[in-house]
Amino acid sequence: MPLKQLLKTFEKDLEVSTDLDALYLKYLGRQGILTKELKSLKEKSIEEKRKLSPKLNKLKKEFDQKIKNKQNLINNTSNIDLTIPASPINTGMLHPTTQVIREMNKFFRYYGFSIAEGPEIETYEYNFGKLNLPKDHPATDLQDTLYIKGGKLLRTHTSSVEARVLTNYMPPIRVAFSGKCYRNETSTSTNTPFFHHYQGVAVDKGITIQHLMGILEEFHKFLFGNDVELRFRYKYYPEVSPGLGVDMKCTFCTGKGCSVCKHRGWIEVLGSGMIHYNTLKMCGIDPEEYTGFAFGVGLDRIVMQRFGINDIRKLYNGGMVYK
Amino acid sequence: MKIPIEWLKEYIDIKKSPLEIAESFTTIGLLLDKPIEKNVLDLEHRMDRADWLGIIGCARDLATFENLKLKNPKYYDETATIVSKKNKIDVRVKDGGFVNRFYTQVFRGVTVKDSPKWLRDRLKAYGIPSINNVVDITNYVMVEMGQTLHAQDTDKMEKPEIVIRKGKNGEKITTLLGEVVEIDDSCFVLAQGNKPTVIGGIVGGRATAVDGNTKNIILDSGNYNQSQIRKSSRKMKIQNESVLRNDKFLHPNATEFAVRRATKLILELAGGKVLFNDDYYPVKHKPQKMVLRMGRVKKIGGLEIDKKKIINTLEKLEYKVLHDTADRVTVEIPYFRTDVSVEDDIVADILRMYNYNKFPRKILNTAPPTEITPDIYNFEDEIRDTLVRIGLHEHITDPLVPDGQIKLINALSKEKSALRTTIRETLLPIANTYKKHGLEKIGLFEIGKIYLTKEIRVVEVLSKDPRITLATLLHDLGIQKYQLNKKMEHCVSININTKTIGHLDIKGFTLFTKKLMGYSETTHRITTKITNRTTEDLSLIINRNEPFGPIYNKILNYDKHIVDAKVMGEYTGSEIDKDHKSVLIKISYDISHTKEIRKALIKNLKKNFGLIHRE
Repeated sequence: MPLKQLLKTFEKDLEVSTDLDALYLKYLGRQGILTKELKSLKEKSIEEKRKLSPKLNKLKKEFDQKIKNKQNLINNTSNIDLTIPASPINTGMLHPTTQVIREMNKFFRYYGFSIAEGPEIETYEYNFGKLNLPKDHPATDLQDTLYIKGGKLLRTHTSSVEARVLTNYMPPIRVAFSGKCYRNETSTSTNTPFFHHYQGVAVDKGITIQHLMGILEEFHKFLFGNDVELRFRYKYYPEVSPGLGVDMKCTFCTGKGCSVCKHRGWIEVLGSGMIHYNTLKMCGIDPEEYTGFAFGVGLDRIVMQRFGINDIRKLYNGGMVYK
Repeated sequence: MKIPIEWLKEYIDIKKSPLEIAESFTTIGLLLDKPIEKNVLDLEHRMDRADWLGIIGCARDLATFENLKLKNPKYYDETATIVSKKNKIDVRVKDGGFVNRFYTQVFRGVTVKDSPKWLRDRLKAYGIPSINNVVDITNYVMVEMGQTLHAQDTDKMEKPEIVIRKGKNGEKITTLLGEVVEIDDSCFVLAQGNKPTVIGGIVGGRATAVDGNTKNIILDSGNYNQSQIRKSSRKMKIQNESVLRNDKFLHPNATEFAVRRATKLILELAGGKVLFNDDYYPVKHKPQKMVLRMGRVKKIGGLEIDKKKIINTLEKLEYKVLHDTADRVTVEIPYFRTDVSVEDDIVADILRMYNYNKFPRKILNTAPPTEITPDIYNFEDEIRDTLVRIGLHEHITDPLVPDGQIKLINALSKEKSALRTTIRETLLPIANTYKKHGLEKIGLFEIGKIYLTKEIRVVEVLSKDPRITLATLLHDLGIQKYQLNKKMEHCVSININTKTIGHLDIKGFTLFTKKLMGYSETTHRITTKITNRTTEDLSLIINRNEPFGPIYNKILNYDKHIVDAKVMGEYTGSEIDKDHKSVLIKISYDISHTKEIRKALIKNLKKNFGLIHRE
C-alpha cells in the first residue's frame, strides 16, 4: 500500500475508533499493517530499503504519537471539575507514644546514645537486686509488683534495662531506652497497671551531676522550647545516690501556682541521679574508676500533655482514633 | 509529712515566710505536696529517711541548709530507779523475728487530765485529736521524733505481763477507736496471758487504754520488723500514723530517746514517779563509721567544696567527726540516719545542702561510645514506616488480658490477670472503635510482643485485604518470593523458603519480626540497568475448589528467569464446565527466549497438577 494512502486510512480509522488498543494492534501490533510493511523491508533491495526505511519509521512514530494524543484528549476531557477540592487519600499515623519516643530518641542519638532494649518478663535480680533494692526494702513499696508463677515478675520500670546494659557492656556507655512497664494498680485516668517509661544512662570516667543536669536541661529545651526553666532538688531513688528530682516551671501559670501544677508552680518531670555505687559494683563496673548518671521519665504523661489526651486509658485501650 | 510552722519554730528561729520555708524544704528533699493551708506544710516524703518521720528530723536538715542553730528538745536525762518486783510488768518475747527492741518504763501515781492548750493546739494543727495528757504526749513525741510510743493502764491488765507473740487465728481486738479487728497468725500481738491487748506496732486496744481514772501506766516504745508491719497492716487494712512510721527503717536507739523525751513531758504534765521496767534489746546496734574522701565529693559533684564547709555541714547534720586529715574525714553516722549506707550518701548530703541549683551545668564532652542499638529495633521501626506509608494506623494496646499462657498471681482485677497470646485480641477492640467513627476501611497495626512460654516480637496487621498489605510490606522490605500455605480453614501460613514467618487470615496477618528480619534486603530494588522483560499470559484450567497458591508457587519458582508472576483473574463461564475454573496468570521473564521454559513449565504443571493449559 502506498504510504500516503496508508496514512489516510489510518487517520480515518483514528477518527472513528473507540477502541484505541485495537487500533494500535491493527497498525502497530505484531501482525499490524505497518509492522508487516517494516518486516517486508528485509526482502527488498538495499536501495529500496534506504529509501523506504526512514519513511516507514517516521510513519510508525507518527501513528504512535497520534494514538497517544487521542488517548490524552480522551483522558483530559473526562469531566473533571478542577474547582472542587478532592478528598484526600488516607495516610497512616504513628501512635502518639511512638511519635514521642522517636522525638526523644532523636535527641539522645544526637548526643551519641544508642537505643537499648530488655525483656518485660524480668527476674527479681534485674528489676530490683542489681538496682540496690534488696528484698523487703521499704522502697519496693514505691512500686507494687505484678508477679508470675515461678518467681519472675513484670518489670516495674525500665531500669531493668539499665541493669542489663551495665552488666553486659563496659564503659563508656550511653544508652536511652523506652518500653512497657507494669504495676499492680487499679486503672484510673492517670494510672494504669500498664504504662511506658523513657530512660537514659551514661557511664564514663569523669561524669558528674553537672553533666546530668546539663543534658536534662538540653533535653527539656529540645522538647518544650528554649524558655523552659528547670529546678533540681534532692529526691531519693534507691538505684541512685545522690538522687535528683527535676521540676519544670509551670508554663500555664509561669510559676504562680494553678490547678495544672497542683498549686506548686512547678511540675515534676522526672527522676534522676548518679548511678548508685552498689549498682555499678553489682553490674561489674568499678565505681572508683567510673561514674554515671541515670534518669527516667513517665512517658505517657508527656504524650497525654502533647496530644491533649486527658485519660491514659484512652491512649491504649481504645477510645482514640486518628482521622 | 505535715509540719505546722509554729511547731517547727520550737526548734529553729526562722524568719522566712511559710512559702519560702517550703521552697527550702523542697530543695533539700521534702517536696511541698499541697498548697499551704493554715500555716501547715504538707511535704512529700519518700521511704528512705526515717528521721523525716519526725518534725525534729526535718528541722535539723532545714537548720543546716539555712545555716541556723537547731534547738533540740529536752529529754529526761537521769537514770530512773528500777521498778520493784511487785510493780514490774514482765516483758517476754515468745516469737522472734518481729521485735528488735522493746523499751518500757512504769509510771506510778500519774494524774490523767486534759492537756494544756499548747499541746492540744499543736496536735490539732498536725491533725491528731486530743484525748488526755498521757495519750497526747505519746502522740506528740511520735510526731516530734518519728518514733511511736504506747501507754497502757497497768491496773487494767489481767496479768502483770506483756507477752509478744504471734496472733492466733480467731483472736479479736477492739481498738482504741472501737473497731473490732480479727487477728491471725500473720501478725504479732502484745498480750496478757491469752488476751491480746495491742497489735504490735500497728494499733492499741481499748481494754488497757489510759483514761481519766488511770493512776499507773506502762509506757513502751518498740522497734519492729518493718516488712512484717507492712504485710500485717495491709492485710488488716489498717493505715495510721503508727504504721506510717513503723514500716520504715527506724533505728532501735530511737525507742529509748523517745521514751526519755516522753518521760520528761509526763513528769511535767501528769506528775507521778518514773521507774525503769525493762529493755529488751538482744542484738545491739553499734554506731556506724564511714570515711568521706574530699576527692569523692569532687568526683560526683564536679567541683571543689571547701573542706571547712563540708565539716560544718556534717556537724550540723549531727555526724560526729572522728578523724580529719587533708583529703578525708572519718565520721560516725548519727543513729537516726538509717538511710546512709555508702560514702556517696554522705556526698549526697553535702551536695544537697550546697544546693543542686548552684552547680554549673555541663554537656557530655567525650567521644560517643560504640553504637549498640539492636538491629531488630531499627528493623521494626522500618516496618512501622512502611505500614504508615501505605495508609495504616499504628496503635499500642495493653497486653494485660483476662486469660493467657502467662498468668499473674497477684493481679488486682481479673480482666488484667494474664499476658496476651495474640495482639489480635487487644487490637480488634480498637478496630471496633474505628467502626463506630465510620472509619472501618482503615487498616491498623501494632508492633509489640506476645507472651507464650517467652516473649515473642510480632507485628499484627488488620486490614481490608490483608494479602495486599502483606504483599506491599514484603515488597517494600525487599522480600520477593514467599508462599502462603494453607494451614487450616481460612488461615494460611506465610513461608519464605521453608521457614514460617507468620500467618494470615481474612482479617489480617501476624509476622514474627525477628524471623522476618533475616530476609529483608532492599538494595536490589534500586537499579541503573534496564532489563528487558518479556511477559506472557498463561491460562490454566483447574478444579474449582482447588487453592491456586501451590501452583502459583511452582510457577514463580520454576526457573530463575521467571522474575514475577501475577494472577490476573479467575474465570468461570459457559466455555468451562461447572467443576472447573480458568485462571489467567501473567509471567514475567528477564530473557526474551521463553519458549523452552514455557514448554517445560506447562509440561511440569500438567504432570504435577494435572492441569489443562488453554491456548
